[in-house]
Amino acid sequence: MRNMPNMIVLAKQVFYTQDLRIDRTTKKLKTEGVARVISESDKNAIEEAVRLKEKHGGKITVLTMGPPEAKEALREAIAMGADEGYMLVGPEFENSDAHATAVSLAAGIKKIGQFDMILCGETSEDQYSFQVGPRTAEILNLPQITYAVKITLQDAKVLVDRNLEDCYETVESKLPVFVTVSREINEPRLPTLMAIMAASKKPMTAWTAKNIGLQPGELGRQGSLTEPVRSAVATGERKRVMMEGEPSEAAEKLVTTLVGEGVVKVT
Amino acid sequence: MTSTQKHEGVWVFSESPTVARELLSKGRELSVKLGTHLAAVAFGEDVSEMSKELVAFGADRVYAVQDPSLKTFQVHLYSNALAEMAQTYRPDVVLIGATRSGLELAARLAERLKTGCCTECSKLDVDPDKKCVIVDRLILGGNITETLIIPSKPQVFTLPKGVFQPLSKDPARTGEVVRVQPKIGESPVKVLDRKPKQFAGVRITDAEVIVSFGRGLKKKEDIPIVEELAKTVSGVVGCSRPIAEDLKWLPVDQYVGLSGQKVAPKLYIACGISGQIQHITGIQNARVVVAVNTDSKAPIFEYTDYGIVGDLYKVVPAIAEAFRRHSSGAK
Repeated sequence: MRNMPNMIVLAKQVFYTQDLRIDRTTKKLKTEGVARVISESDKNAIEEAVRLKEKHGGKITVLTMGPPEAKEALREAIAMGADEGYMLVGPEFENSDAHATAVSLAAGIKKIGQFDMILCGETSEDQYSFQVGPRTAEILNLPQITYAVKITLQDAKVLVDRNLEDCYETVESKLPVFVTVSREINEPRLPTLMAIMAASKKPMTAWTAKNIGLQPGELGRQGSLTEPVRSAVATGERKRVMMEGEPSEAAEKLVTTLVGEGVVKVT
Repeated sequence: MTSTQKHEGVWVFSESPTVARELLSKGRELSVKLGTHLAAVAFGEDVSEMSKELVAFGADRVYAVQDPSLKTFQVHLYSNALAEMAQTYRPDVVLIGATRSGLELAARLAERLKTGCCTECSKLDVDPDKKCVIVDRLILGGNITETLIIPSKPQVFTLPKGVFQPLSKDPARTGEVVRVQPKIGESPVKVLDRKPKQFAGVRITDAEVIVSFGRGLKKKEDIPIVEELAKTVSGVVGCSRPIAEDLKWLPVDQYVGLSGQKVAPKLYIACGISGQIQHITGIQNARVVVAVNTDSKAPIFEYTDYGIVGDLYKVVPAIAEAFRRHSSGAK
């Protein structure tokens, strides 16, 4: 029986998406002044690891990949209760798609070494691909349990409740295992200022691609399996017709139009 | 094993029969543009009926795997089977329904096949020059549309549910059913229990009409104003993220947005919702969007078909009243 789980949490730093706006004059995304935060469900994964540690002991290692600023994410994770942090940093990691990201994270995990459980959020707030968890699990040949809303460690097994569209499912797996969590699993704690200050004294290690044994062709744009053709400011393709007049008048025009278009059937 | 190394055919798969029919409709369009056949994959304890059904809804070919272990979705078993079949029959495109199960399957499958995958695509078409699928995805909170192709094969995509109208069922249609016996293996994850969710009435993702509200509604006690309109149009009540997550006036299953429910009703009425990009992204597949807001400059009006500037406390009951007049009235 293994009482003290060794956990690795994968966490991504993202722009706080709700504050992202398009600059109306330059027609470009304005990132200036927008906070960089830990992607929401990744934060839930950190919180869950901390709760498991509070109950069973063990160790939490956080792994991130991103720009030098991502160090802040590691610091926050440690302030929440993680023991140490590693970051994959360098231009060679830039523009990695879900596959190249998973390849990089899996190499980082192998370098960290021992683990019983890997946790991460079900998806990242900025990319919304839902791919990195399952892809990393596949590379590491680990059982995957997605959309966790409850995690219980029992002997050398884990019991997980999952939230699916139509049902809640309870599943069981041996360790080691790869788990992605949903936001409803917990409310992440807010670390105190003291904890954040103390976190900077905890060990944090930066690794380049070379450090984790990856060749240039395996990551970044070159190692990606999807090819971006272009990106543009998202625009709505709606009619934008305003119904004028007093409430009853505008409502009448609206309903007449909707009925006329066959959008709603009236009996 | 096929003798050729060429990747051919558009495959569709969903563990949900309803979504599979929707995928066949979009798959048909893509396969015609790519000049190839359309195939469906059927997994189950008994696949004979399922296979006939898939042909009737548009499949030229069905790859059917009959095995008791495939009775219900399990990602390890389904990805084992699907990966081996894709390696043997070499499809050009694989379309998977973007249910929660479909998403984890697509990612695991694509990694096994060392191929690219695009999830949550908002638009999917064929690039006439490159003869491959080209998709749009919304990223960065819905602010940016990224257009992508997948140079590796097969090209794997997930498609939203409830967006594509299934073709009409034609029982006279003929198609080839290929029985396959891939190695399914055993799942390292055992399912101990499944509890169906209890939904009061129609679920928001299945609703034809949704009446949603945001912070324009001042207090919880005012929700009946919105409910009344929803009732009049046989719709379901939804809300924006702050209503469910911060104020907790409605369950989280009922909030619409990028991180909540992505909906595809015929009619979406947004009452007192300012139109954060988070919210807009959740309603991009709605056929018609109506918005009511006091602020004529609210971003929601940029993403609206029909807008009314006004106080929702007056306008929403007026819309309900107008609907009642139309249904009981002279015409």
